[in-house]
Amino acid sequence: MATRATNLVNPDAEIVAASQCLQVNVAAARGLQSVLRTNLGPRGTLKMLVGGAGQIKITKDGNVLLHEMQIQHPTAMMIARAATAMDDEVGDGTTSSVLFTGELLKQAERYTSEGLHPRLITEGYDIAKDMVLEYLEAFKVEQPNIYNDRELLTNVVRTSLRTKLAAESADSMSDAVVDAMFSICEEGKPIDLHMVEVMEMQHKKGSDSRFINGMVLDHGSRHPDMPTYLENVHILTCNVSMEYEKTEISAGFYYSSAEEREKFVDSERKFTEEKVKQVIDFKRKVCKEGESFALINQKGIDPMALDMLAKEGIFALRRAKRRNMERLTLACGGMPVNSVDDIEVDMLGWAGRLREETLGEDKFTFVEDVKQGKSCTILIRGPNKHTIDQIKDAVRDGLRAVKSALEDKALVPGAGAFEVAAYRMLMRRKAAVSGRAKLGVEAFANAMLVVPKVLAENSGLDVQESIIRVEEEQERSDQAAGLDLDSGETFLPSTEGIWDSYTVKKQTLNLSTILATQLLLVDEVMKAGKAMGKSAANVAEED
Amino acid sequence: MSQFLHSAGGVSLTDLLKDGSKHFSGIDEAVLKNIEACKKLSTITRTSIGPNGMNKMVINHLNKIFVTNDAATIVKEMEIVHPAAKLVAMSAKTQEEEIGDGTNLVVVLAGTLLEYAEDMLRQGLHCADIIAGYSKAIKAILQFIDNLEVKKCENARDEGQVSEALLSAIGAKQWGLEPFLAPLVAKACIQILPKDVKQFNVDNVRIIKIPGMSVHDSFLMKGFVMPRDSEGTIKHVQNAKIVLFGTEVDLSATETKGNVLIKSAEELMNYSKSEEEAMDKCVREIVEAGVNVLIAQSTISDMALHFCERNKLMVIKCPSKFEIARICKLTGATALARFGAPLPEEVGEADLVSVDEVGGTNCVTITRDSLEQTRVSTVVLRSSTANRLDDLQRAVEDGVNIYKQIVKDSRLVAGGGACELRLAAELKDLANKTPGLEQYAIRKFGEAMETIPRTLAENAGQDTTSTVSNLYAAHAAGNLNHGVNIEQAGTLDMVEAKIFDHLVTKKEAIRLSAEAAITVLRVDTIIMARQSGGPDPNRAPGD
Repeated sequence: MATRATNLVNPDAEIVAASQCLQVNVAAARGLQSVLRTNLGPRGTLKMLVGGAGQIKITKDGNVLLHEMQIQHPTAMMIARAATAMDDEVGDGTTSSVLFTGELLKQAERYTSEGLHPRLITEGYDIAKDMVLEYLEAFKVEQPNIYNDRELLTNVVRTSLRTKLAAESADSMSDAVVDAMFSICEEGKPIDLHMVEVMEMQHKKGSDSRFINGMVLDHGSRHPDMPTYLENVHILTCNVSMEYEKTEISAGFYYSSAEEREKFVDSERKFTEEKVKQVIDFKRKVCKEGESFALINQKGIDPMALDMLAKEGIFALRRAKRRNMERLTLACGGMPVNSVDDIEVDMLGWAGRLREETLGEDKFTFVEDVKQGKSCTILIRGPNKHTIDQIKDAVRDGLRAVKSALEDKALVPGAGAFEVAAYRMLMRRKAAVSGRAKLGVEAFANAMLVVPKVLAENSGLDVQESIIRVEEEQERSDQAAGLDLDSGETFLPSTEGIWDSYTVKKQTLNLSTILATQLLLVDEVMKAGKAMGKSAANVAEED
Repeated sequence: MSQFLHSAGGVSLTDLLKDGSKHFSGIDEAVLKNIEACKKLSTITRTSIGPNGMNKMVINHLNKIFVTNDAATIVKEMEIVHPAAKLVAMSAKTQEEEIGDGTNLVVVLAGTLLEYAEDMLRQGLHCADIIAGYSKAIKAILQFIDNLEVKKCENARDEGQVSEALLSAIGAKQWGLEPFLAPLVAKACIQILPKDVKQFNVDNVRIIKIPGMSVHDSFLMKGFVMPRDSEGTIKHVQNAKIVLFGTEVDLSATETKGNVLIKSAEELMNYSKSEEEAMDKCVREIVEAGVNVLIAQSTISDMALHFCERNKLMVIKCPSKFEIARICKLTGATALARFGAPLPEEVGEADLVSVDEVGGTNCVTITRDSLEQTRVSTVVLRSSTANRLDDLQRAVEDGVNIYKQIVKDSRLVAGGGACELRLAAELKDLANKTPGLEQYAIRKFGEAMETIPRTLAENAGQDTTSTVSNLYAAHAAGNLNHGVNIEQAGTLDMVEAKIFDHLVTKKEAIRLSAEAAITVLRVDTIIMARQSGGPDPNRAPGD
């Protein structure tokens, strides 16, 4: 081979060119696809990731896997980055977009190996993508009433969670996720998922995870005599320092006897004591028989002040987290108070129950049964770290699934129904496409089938037979039939409550096509020189 | 040159990942290897099961020697690296944290379940079938085990009943000593059982280990022992009135920097004098409140000590805030946040506070023997060596944990493998009724339950096969409570022999082991990152 231009410019550069380059890209995409394909669907298997320090993570969530896998190959990394970026946005669909991208490249390779120019295939892909997106608009099922349809939402979450958790915990977590969503969302207003706090406690078993109408704070009171269980609690959320604050300027005291010093000590204390007394007086004013009072402070409370509060039966938390302060007022009502000088009753929040739970060294405070409930908590329990992580990742995705369903007000029947239908549509309309782009459309249609195929494969079904069965059923009934993974028969996903997110489908199609197109049009991979004596591996990492 | 750019043919996962990461997938590489590791682990702990179990000597990374047959300790100190074995170890740890006993059952059963799973895999069964079978089996067990209750420990305050229930738990760890230790533990627990039994806290049974004498010289105290000396010269106080300070015992200082303005020697004299007077006054006030023992969490100034001595005040320093909290509980005192005279209700009481020399160490003991019920009780363990004491401590701790479980749920099952054998029989029955491939797994689960009686017999040096078959014969003849007689070959009615196991402990252990086994079976791929801190994989040896 003659010296290439790049090598003239930089003799150290590493080059892969032309057809070989396409092969490399396709091979990487397929490699990644083969890793993730066993994950897809409710019957997918688990992967165990072991970190550098021996920490264990067990997952079948594509997003988690791609994040933790430490991928190095540049092409694979590109696909993985794009797929995980999509997950950050819509919360799901990582595995399917990696599979789809890989399949698009694989289908394209069949034609390029016969001499077709990649450009023509990409043209076909673009045409096909537009057709499918258009078809998706027609195929999706509008759900205008979704804000009031609890069952439908539960189904959406369950479909998403079942691909990430074992069936039993998926079902119980779906209820928790929907409960949480219902408490924070309001029709017509943007949904802020940060208002759902996900708290973890390492004890009991995974199925003890639940929704809590209120807040769980991961610390407790710092005084042994404070109550650990309260009912009908007024909650004062404040940001007032109840400990001695040093002056900004450097100050000193001069005294000449112990009594004088005592006086100084008392006057120093007085400043803090006044504030505490105000709170105590206020408590006496508002608390009726059977009611109690809790003070949750973002700043510190010193031991003496804690002592005074404890004597009054007030539950006091110090150094609460800032984000929790915001959520607390949303959950319990009231408003954050920055000065105790003139506190009014309507600044107080209210909770039905407040209790403190101790778990080994850690304390947790539960503020439960709140009235307003514009913020809530999903408490995740599990016997070990990996169980908790697994549920936590799933809950995160579940929340996003509901969010996008609520925002779209539309859903797509799952279980491979859309993919098979889109395949049929493309095959039908292929005739209308002129020229060699037709081949691209055909390749795209074949690639569409990868998701139902892998679903069938992971469930131990006969792949070809299952796909054909779904195809024939759709042909016959003209309905969105899907594949029942338990029996291998066809069924209607819409009646079984298997729904996919519209946004996720749309994003997957867009993203994978663009990625595949880009990769197909690459004809040279260059890796310039070794920077500063680093090994080639390190250079790739910095890309 | 990195090789990945040239590997266009086929890309395996390792090519995509960072150098040094390992990856195993499929039945042969991942599943069977994982099973192998878990089997190894359970082989180690298996010989420790039951009263006749052997001890293990484990030397950890700090060169500390453990001689024990407590599986929790063995597994913890072994520092397991293999990820799958780690999963089993984590389940054992969970059992230890949640229940406090039965860890060996978790490890052994999980190991056996996986061993049988391996057999089935080799026979060609699919992982999914085994998982389905095991899940069904565990569901059946969790239901059926509730019917196996043979006795209830109805009165958690009755020493006889409680020690009967504790016998087998302690006997499994300290065979031969249980007739002595069980009543001791029972008494210690009953003494501190609060009115609301749910408030029982394991932490309130303290264990102090003092080398010397023999195990039979161990005794129980209603009170609290701290291995440290008092500060002053007063070592014994009868009918003590105790004041506790959570702060340092010194004249209060200002937060702001203080300076003493002194113009002449006379003023200096006066200043010192005024300080002394202030301290004298303070201490006198304390003594006038009726106090004769002072306990402080932080430093005690020399001047304060001097005046305490003069006023015949016993002074004890106790740096741990947890111990301060316990003394508060025991004596009814309130820890004061400020040095000064206490209110009458803040003063605690004790019959005797004294410093005694036990086995060469000075110990402060605070006792309340005159009370029927106390809040803290202490078991003083005596034995010849530190190792032996540690082992005894573990046995006592297990006993206390079991007591806690009994308070929560008093149901007991027959011990000596009788309960496991019935479960085994039940599962075999279920297997015969179950259609499909799952029945093999259910049957194997049943066989795995037999491991417990089998191991008990094996560790007692009996012929295992004939023992188990004799047991089946006895059960078939209607003697459903017969278990392994470890003293002489044959079977024995466990209810008559008063050998009971705690139902919930057993249930949780079986549940956890099944969960661990299923998790291990579900994993079909392991991706291991390069171990952090190891040698650089890019650099070949000798480079």
